[in-house]
Amino acid sequence: MKNVRLLGYIFILPAVIAMILVHIIPMAWGILISFKDLTIRTIRNWQEAPWCGIDNYIKAFNPVSTVGQRFMRSLRNIVFYGFFTISIGFFIALGVALLLNKPFIGRTFVRGVILIPYITPDSVAYNFWRFIFQSRIGILNEMLLRIGIIQEPIMWLVGRNTIWAVIIASIWKGWPLTSLMLLAGLQTIPVELYEAARIDGANAWQCFRYITLSYLKPVIKTIMIMNILWNFHAYNQFVVLFGENVGIHAEVPNTLIMREAFDNYNYGQESALSVILMLLMLTITVVYLYVFRQRAEE
Amino acid sequence: MSKRTPIQNFFFYLIIVIVLLFVLGPYAWMISSSFKTAVEIQGMRPTWIPQTFTLNNYVEMNTTVPIVKYFTNSIIISTGTMLAALIIGTLAAYGISRFKFWGRELYVIVLMATQMLPGILFVIPYFMLFKWITDTFGLPMTNTFHGLIFTYTSFALPFSILMLRNYLDSVPKDIDEQALIDGCNRFQALYRVIIPLAKPGLAAMGIYAFIMAWNEILFAKILTSTKTRTIALGLLQYISQHQARWGQMMAACVFATIPVIVAFTAFQKQIVAGLVSGATKG
Repeated sequence: MKNVRLLGYIFILPAVIAMILVHIIPMAWGILISFKDLTIRTIRNWQEAPWCGIDNYIKAFNPVSTVGQRFMRSLRNIVFYGFFTISIGFFIALGVALLLNKPFIGRTFVRGVILIPYITPDSVAYNFWRFIFQSRIGILNEMLLRIGIIQEPIMWLVGRNTIWAVIIASIWKGWPLTSLMLLAGLQTIPVELYEAARIDGANAWQCFRYITLSYLKPVIKTIMIMNILWNFHAYNQFVVLFGENVGIHAEVPNTLIMREAFDNYNYGQESALSVILMLLMLTITVVYLYVFRQRAEE
Repeated sequence: MSKRTPIQNFFFYLIIVIVLLFVLGPYAWMISSSFKTAVEIQGMRPTWIPQTFTLNNYVEMNTTVPIVKYFTNSIIISTGTMLAALIIGTLAAYGISRFKFWGRELYVIVLMATQMLPGILFVIPYFMLFKWITDTFGLPMTNTFHGLIFTYTSFALPFSILMLRNYLDSVPKDIDEQALIDGCNRFQALYRVIIPLAKPGLAAMGIYAFIMAWNEILFAKILTSTKTRTIALGLLQYISQHQARWGQMMAACVFATIPVIVAFTAFQKQIVAGLVSGATKG
């Protein structure tokens, strides 16, 4: 028995070593330097950099300092972006999953095709969206002009509309995976339930509300929490669509932190912001694990 | 299932068509633009079908940006990541799936939690860690293939392990025991019996790691320069402050999509099953 236990450790050992090297040590290091005044001048010999206590953290939450202002703005932006991307994406995904759950000619084909956005590499997808959004030579404005929805071209990639441009592109990229998971959930619902409900006089809405949604509830929970967490990782879409300088209307934590590190060379501040972001995400993760536990017990 | 009336049927298919147009429209625009001349893209009103059909973009895309080299770099890095993740991940997933040991639950929770850590937190420590390794052991890390493969493997591992664990849990344990009785040791049992049975799960995991490495931008930006630059970064170089070569960029985008589409078409079933089980079982 003891041998067997030891074998278990041997099997996970390589993965554990890799994770210690890549996750644990860098994380500890990151937390450490967030308490230092580490800049381009002190990076050569980082141990010598002066400690500055929780100054970096205070700055991040100080609404008067530049960093604090930017950080709050980036958090507001990411929440705004996440809210619309996740909710609109979810409704599209649910609608399509319900359609795909019905038998029709070409269903397998359609199911394969809708996965295309998901498997398209981020860099490719956001690059062609960037082209689509071009105000003069892009196809989106051209189509909107032809239909007559707008009278003059919209500037999608500059100013106020930037956040909507990135929301649209992200919805296109993100909904298929959600749809696929919902579809997998739908397929576990026994058909007999609907038949029984119909005999009892339930209408379509009641069937949907009391059978479909209650069966999907655990899947929806998981999807929502995963999406909310992934949302804070968002970086690729912003940097590909807008380049290095995303502008104030689409500044999100990740782009801000990258700028703080590689334009302003303020590594200590950068680390403090990352740590705050991490704590925020860990809080959500705890909720996620709690919900997951509950599900496992159900 | 109730039968649909013809009118319902019409709307049903109408919605399906709208969905397909929404999904495929941007793709059609990419492909059609890759065959347009620069003059048409810059000078005329945009159309869905090229007015003059040209292959120039495909011919010239490699002279503007060494995209074929970046493509090769990405192939090396993504394949390396895939293989490393497969080997280390299979061992770990098998360990969690088959053995009860102290700390197993904790390990699974750590795996779940690490998926949620923001990559951005690691950027500067990584930079410093790589520099430290180079200074101490004389092993170059930044701007090397192995440095990036090492990074991506570790980032791909947590989700890969959890995904494969789910799959291995569905393979009966009696099979291992039978192999042990027949004289295999644990590693042989894994290698000869379990791995052949777990092929679909392994395919899903491998593709996941490959696509992850093919997509990554943040770390590629910091840890590579011209020698090891990946295609994800290369695509951005077609647009500079002086000139926007949209046609060539779209051609390069088509080029960059090929491996992923090929891999996906070959393993569609496994990927879908793997994704769904990884996602719905946590």
